[in-house]
Amino acid sequence: MVSVPQNNVSVLKVSYTVRERLGPWWDISSYHKKWTRQILKDVSFHIESGQIMGILGNSGSGKTTLLDAIAGRLSHKSNFVGQVYVNGHELHQDQFQDCFSYVLQNDTLLSYLTIEESLTYIALLALQKHSCDSIKKKVDAVMAELRLSHVANSVIGSRILGGISEGERRRVSVAAQLLQDPQVMLLDEPTTGLDCMTANQIVMLLSELAQKGRIVIITVHQPRSELFQVFNKICIMSFGELVFCGGPSDMITFFESCGYSCPEHSNPFDFYVDLTSVDTQSKVRELETYSRVQTISTAYKSSELFLNTLEAIEETKCKVKDLPPIPFKCKDSPDSFAKLWILLRRITRNFSRDKVGLIMRLSQNLLFGLFMAFFLLRLSDDLLKGAVQDRVGFIYQCMSAPPHTGILNALALFPALRAVGDQESKDGLYQKWHMLLAYVLHFLPFSVISVALFSIFIYWTVGLHPAASSFGYFFAAVTVPHIVGELLTLVFLGVIQNPNVVNGGVGLLNVAGVLVGSGLVRSLEDMPTAFKMLSYLTFQKYGSEILIVNEFSGLKFTCGGLSNISTGVEASCPFSHGTQFIERNFPGAGSRFTTDFLLLYAFLPALITLAIISFKIRDITILR
Amino acid sequence: MELQDTIFCSEDDNSLYFTYSGKSNVLEVRNLNYQVDVASQIPWYQKLSELKMPWTYDTDPNSHVRAIQNLTFKIKSGQMLALIESSACRRTSLFDVITCRDHGGKIVSGQVLINGKPSTHQLVKKCIAHVRQDDRLLPNLTVRETLLFIAKLRLPKTFSESEREKRVEEVIAELRLRQCANTKVGNEYTRGVSGGERRRVSIGVQLLWNPGILIFDEPTSGLDSFTAHNLVITLSRLARGNRLVLLSVHQPRSDIYQLFDLILLMTSGATIYCGAAQDMVQYFEEIGYPCPTYSNPADFYVDLTSVDRQTEETKMESLQRASSLAALFHEKVKHFDDFLWKNRSEDDENTVSISTDLSPPFVSEELINMNSHSTDQLPGWFQQFTVLLSRQVSNNVRDLSALLIRGFEALLMSLLIGFLYYGHGKTRLSIQDTSALLYMMGALIPFTVVFEGITKCHSERVVLYQDLEDGLYPIGPYFSAKVLGELPEQCVLVIIYGIPIYWLANLSPESEHFFLNLLFFMFGTCCARTMALWISALLPTMQISAFFGNMLYTTFFLSGGFLISLQNLWTVPSWISKVSFVRWCFEGLMQVQFTGLTYTMNSGNVSYSVSGKLVLRAMDLDSHPLYAICLILAGISTGFLILYYLSLRFINQKSNQDW
Repeated sequence: MVSVPQNNVSVLKVSYTVRERLGPWWDISSYHKKWTRQILKDVSFHIESGQIMGILGNSGSGKTTLLDAIAGRLSHKSNFVGQVYVNGHELHQDQFQDCFSYVLQNDTLLSYLTIEESLTYIALLALQKHSCDSIKKKVDAVMAELRLSHVANSVIGSRILGGISEGERRRVSVAAQLLQDPQVMLLDEPTTGLDCMTANQIVMLLSELAQKGRIVIITVHQPRSELFQVFNKICIMSFGELVFCGGPSDMITFFESCGYSCPEHSNPFDFYVDLTSVDTQSKVRELETYSRVQTISTAYKSSELFLNTLEAIEETKCKVKDLPPIPFKCKDSPDSFAKLWILLRRITRNFSRDKVGLIMRLSQNLLFGLFMAFFLLRLSDDLLKGAVQDRVGFIYQCMSAPPHTGILNALALFPALRAVGDQESKDGLYQKWHMLLAYVLHFLPFSVISVALFSIFIYWTVGLHPAASSFGYFFAAVTVPHIVGELLTLVFLGVIQNPNVVNGGVGLLNVAGVLVGSGLVRSLEDMPTAFKMLSYLTFQKYGSEILIVNEFSGLKFTCGGLSNISTGVEASCPFSHGTQFIERNFPGAGSRFTTDFLLLYAFLPALITLAIISFKIRDITILR
Repeated sequence: MELQDTIFCSEDDNSLYFTYSGKSNVLEVRNLNYQVDVASQIPWYQKLSELKMPWTYDTDPNSHVRAIQNLTFKIKSGQMLALIESSACRRTSLFDVITCRDHGGKIVSGQVLINGKPSTHQLVKKCIAHVRQDDRLLPNLTVRETLLFIAKLRLPKTFSESEREKRVEEVIAELRLRQCANTKVGNEYTRGVSGGERRRVSIGVQLLWNPGILIFDEPTSGLDSFTAHNLVITLSRLARGNRLVLLSVHQPRSDIYQLFDLILLMTSGATIYCGAAQDMVQYFEEIGYPCPTYSNPADFYVDLTSVDRQTEETKMESLQRASSLAALFHEKVKHFDDFLWKNRSEDDENTVSISTDLSPPFVSEELINMNSHSTDQLPGWFQQFTVLLSRQVSNNVRDLSALLIRGFEALLMSLLIGFLYYGHGKTRLSIQDTSALLYMMGALIPFTVVFEGITKCHSERVVLYQDLEDGLYPIGPYFSAKVLGELPEQCVLVIIYGIPIYWLANLSPESEHFFLNLLFFMFGTCCARTMALWISALLPTMQISAFFGNMLYTTFFLSGGFLISLQNLWTVPSWISKVSFVRWCFEGLMQVQFTGLTYTMNSGNVSYSVSGKLVLRAMDLDSHPLYAICLILAGISTGFLILYYLSLRFINQKSNQDW
């Protein structure tokens, strides 16, 4: 205990406001008025190593916002007034995430990994410079500390899958933070959603962590009376104000001095929180209860306890030199490449356990192929039997369906990863785009295999051009739309939260792309200039040109059983050779074959870059 | 206690709201044994997703769990029974049995009697309000609107408009919802009121109606302690107003515990204690488990009887303790007629204070006359329909962003296709281009409609199936309100979509053709929407619905007669094309545009004219006259509507499944 440096965290006169609209949009007069809501009002406290502090209060009292303020994660920093000191130093913006570890209310964990694997991957991301042995030791130690060793090899699971219990899941979240040896831990409602026994166990565990020299600050919802003595400090918040902050025994004496003594058989937490609540049943009750809260908070502001706190803060500010430096978390994170490699392994390990997902991803293109084969059976060469129409229809489907399956893939898999990435990038483990890029690397082989299965099946079934090289070109050209569909979805998922909206948006974009770009439903020549320009931006243009050239260039048509068509015999048999069709509808496409391929494949790096940019924007836009 | 009165609202008003004037109710559970088959609770699609095929479903003996063992009790109006169960899982099964909502369980022996009659769906709908654990509310209505709509549906005809509003205000005040009464309810994607407030709105929905028996699943979880306490005060006042209140609680605080009058303590299905709350400590003292001072008796005894799963040893030990306690209790209450434990020594004083004191103290003659039973009727079919219609429309209109997105989408599509086939240039559109344009026009808007329809229905279905379970309204009014409520929006969309496209592409300038064109759009979207309604009522989850919808639409799309020529379809797809609304829509649009037109074609140096009729014949699109096509399209959408009605009527989707 002696060797542990004495750290402290002080919060001085912190206030925070947000501007809100008064009414909903259909109530125009009140919609245009805005009002300022005070979420935190002049909050100050001081806490030292080895202490655990519980923040109590009703919903809407500002508990979570206070925690966000300490962790430097508020959404509108401009409305924030006040200082947070660690060992007397005021923190810079970029120091917050390296100093505090913050466990959020909802656990974001990958559901197919075991506890040990999850922790090991996080350890690898956080402490790459350590040897494998020391990482293993670290993980084992943390699991032992949080009593997870006996379930180390259980799969985490999710709400649907089942898996480890809620309490264990919560402990894994805490363990993930402990890997970095933080000196200050913040936890938002760690006991919510757990049954009472598990909740108690978690708080006891946290207090043990605090006793080992850490600072632990948690917000708690209805703690049980047994925990009253566990907390070193208890804060009660009401309407953004700190009504009381101090030790358990101080609490009883303080409220007694205000004239409210806690009855013997009731839970002091509940009693004091109720005492400082505002009842909104009626205006009269509201005023009555609000004035009681005001009386108590004024009494606290003038109490010795509060003055001592302020004094302690001033003291640490003066003694900055004598105090240890800011206790940063252990941070030897590896370079970007190593991070990507670890993330890729983690994602692959996770999804490789999802059997259904794997089968779906590999077979959905094939399923779609079966569907097409059902309608087309076998392409004929007879113009009167729709040789051209059917081929064009087939190519249209090949351009519009694979992107769609790509969208479905990305929507099924990526949102879970995105949630993990959001969380862990806030902990400073890596950037959001690392996760994105790792996912892209992960899905590429699957996409290629899936399209290969589709191509092999459909190509020979419907009877396209039988040359092996033609098949190769076909496969190469259909792979890109599938991958592009997935990448486009990722771009949108970066900036739009709701997956359903993304689904609709990308789906429409895909349809529009086929219409404008492919030249199959409207020949490019006849389009207005603006659309012609626009079509150069669509991958469908290049893709369908390749497919058209590939299929039509060696083709000979018959007309009603006659293999030789004398010119102008019938209006319905305008051409005898595929090349004529190409020249009429896609002039010059034959000579652009290589260029088309290059441009088509250029979409992949371009979209990956765009997706990275979109996730950079996400860094800025996402709040909490 | 005096201090408590100053913190919490003292009960000064005994308003009309809190007194129930119907005849008193008795709920009796006799020797109930209830078995739950865990495996059958997992729906088929979830099993399928875990790669378990239907033929491997053979029943696993371990999956049968005795959820309730030998439960017997009898309570009557004026009493409030709190169910405290220590094992976290399957806490709600008792209430499921009482309300006849068994999810894969079956009653092995014993029965549940309401006023002496075995409980049935009909009886439950009439006299029990059940607040479920999860919140199922329409996200875009405000708190006050939500309650007002329910008030209009649920309160008997005799209530005047102002009485209904007054009732809503009372409930809002009682549940401390005043400050958020005009805020949207919201859900995970739309910002709205907080989780605790949403919980209270769900409770309010049932309190409004306020029948003789009220059942609450975990009303206090997720609420902060202060509101929870106030809520339980409200419930106990309701009970004293001659109602029967049943609630389950999880970790009750000591002050809440003091408000209960009867307690049923269960662990893994076995009854440990059932009787007056204030006698519980004494009972356990008598059998050798005194409650230590300064601790909450509820917490202490829950911990005592709960199964500690940390290690195998503690698990066995605690299980054994629980079963011996249960046996002991069974022995002790055998002699009482209501199977509630009573303290014999002070029998007279204590029980009197429970049963007689709590019976309705202030039911005046006047009240009884006011709410006599003959007038206790729900609003009629037409009124239900209008209320549902206005609820539907308000919920849609409030969601501004969704409306704007949809309108914008339609406009964008229209402009895109319109400019793509810009027809004001030097030459008119060729036959090929015109038919492509007509096909795309007719096929694209239904595509978006199908998906929006499915997503929307699935977001609303939790509310729908809960309301149906509660018997709030029958299927008829909902069906009509749902179908009609979306028509105006659909008309606006079709107009936004249809006008720019028609003008830009420079199609036939006759007004008659233009309106026929819009009519076919309308038919197309109608068919798509009714198809979406049917699919989402037919299939259990949104993913499955979306997948099936996609398949079905693609089938219709491919057999639509443009991408693959109709003559080339082999037998089965050509049957499909007979019911493909995309094909009929295309045929109609083509006939409108091409009949009576002649095209001049150039082939080499020869130019010859082709009549529109010939084009139609070549594409096999002249099989039926225009009016017949209209009839066929109307028939298809009616067909979907019938299927939708049948699915609603006969396929009972569980309201709690969405993932």
